[in-house]
Amino acid sequence: MPNYQLVYFNGRGRAELCRLIFHTAGVPFEDIRLDHTKGEWPGEWKAKCPFGQLPILVVDGKVLAQSRAAARYLAREFNLAGKTSWDQARADMFIDEFDDIGTEVVKFAFEKDEAKKAELSAKFYADTLPRHLGYLENLLKENNGGDGYFVGDSLTWAGLGIANVYDLLGGTDAPFAKFPLLLALAKRVRENPKVAEYLKTRAQTSF
Amino acid sequence: MPTYKLIYFNARGYGELARLLFAVAGVPYEDIRVERASWPNEYKAICPFGQMPLLEVDGKILAQSSAIARYLAMEFGMAGKDNWEQARIDMVVDSFGDILQDMRVPYLETDPEKKEALVKQFVGESLPKRLGYLENILKENGGGQGFIVGDSLTWADLGVANSVDYLKLMCPNPFENFPLLAGLVQRVREIPQVAAWIAKRPETAT
Repeated sequence: MPNYQLVYFNGRGRAELCRLIFHTAGVPFEDIRLDHTKGEWPGEWKAKCPFGQLPILVVDGKVLAQSRAAARYLAREFNLAGKTSWDQARADMFIDEFDDIGTEVVKFAFEKDEAKKAELSAKFYADTLPRHLGYLENLLKENNGGDGYFVGDSLTWAGLGIANVYDLLGGTDAPFAKFPLLLALAKRVRENPKVAEYLKTRAQTSF
Repeated sequence: MPTYKLIYFNARGYGELARLLFAVAGVPYEDIRVERASWPNEYKAICPFGQMPLLEVDGKILAQSSAIARYLAMEFGMAGKDNWEQARIDMVVDSFGDILQDMRVPYLETDPEKKEALVKQFVGESLPKRLGYLENILKENGGGQGFIVGDSLTWADLGVANSVDYLKLMCPNPFENFPLLAGLVQRVREIPQVAAWIAKRPETAT
């Protein structure tokens, strides 16, 4: 078995999808969380990062950057990417959509002006998010009625992705109120034994 | 051979990487171009996320430009020889996504003074920083006179070459200080199928 290191900050952020994939697959890895207040970042790690940024995935000493590339690599290694090349492409499509949602959240999450932040956040929850979730709800429904998975008939990293979005949006059911199939899927994934076990012991972090 | 349709605006934009893949592979497809003034049209209802580009393969639909390009690259044997190379390619391609993110704000800014400052920051700082990393990645691949990942043409190389066309919207010679990247772009553009496509494709501003 290769030696895996995942290097990021102490938060879910852009590394959590990789962590979920490792835990779901039952594959051990070194979950390195750098504390920038202790000088661990930039520290010695920055020079090893292909784009000077985290997260990075290190596999037997070889480095991969870009969170989606790393997560896809792991998903493929552990048979969580989709059973056919078409299914894999469809899973990729969902993952890119989740990333779009994440990008929208980042727009207000780091806004320093409190008034502007409140405005952007309100628009996101009233407008942008329901639009994205609506599309996802429809796509899920198109897959055999929607009480299974996004792609095919088994859990892929796309399912882990929506569980991750659930946490990104605050870890409550509220944002999914109008999207029952999506909510049910997020919960089904969170109740997967390996995922549930991880969620129980996972460090609580602010992001 | 499957029946392929690519549906996008009459622009290079987020559709061009797919078009380059079809061109290099020599695979026929219907290159459907929607004028901006006629969007949204009847295609919007079948777009998984309400946006183009869309790839239709024997009637089945795929959205998201990277997912589309990756699918085609895999089908056409331009995606890297193993999972690791595929991942390294994804890494290079995603970094251009980051460059585009950085570019969005200065590109869309309408106030001339603000725009000038934002463009200056992009062209002077954030772009060279990201291109510098890519120049290193290329250099680390056997010296940088070949391809950016592995030892044959992949969609990562097409992505690098394609980026020049949108980066030119911000500065005239984006790879001026990055000789290895510039060399790669030249090599890609000289590939006969690429050269032929560039010569015949509709001229569009973006």
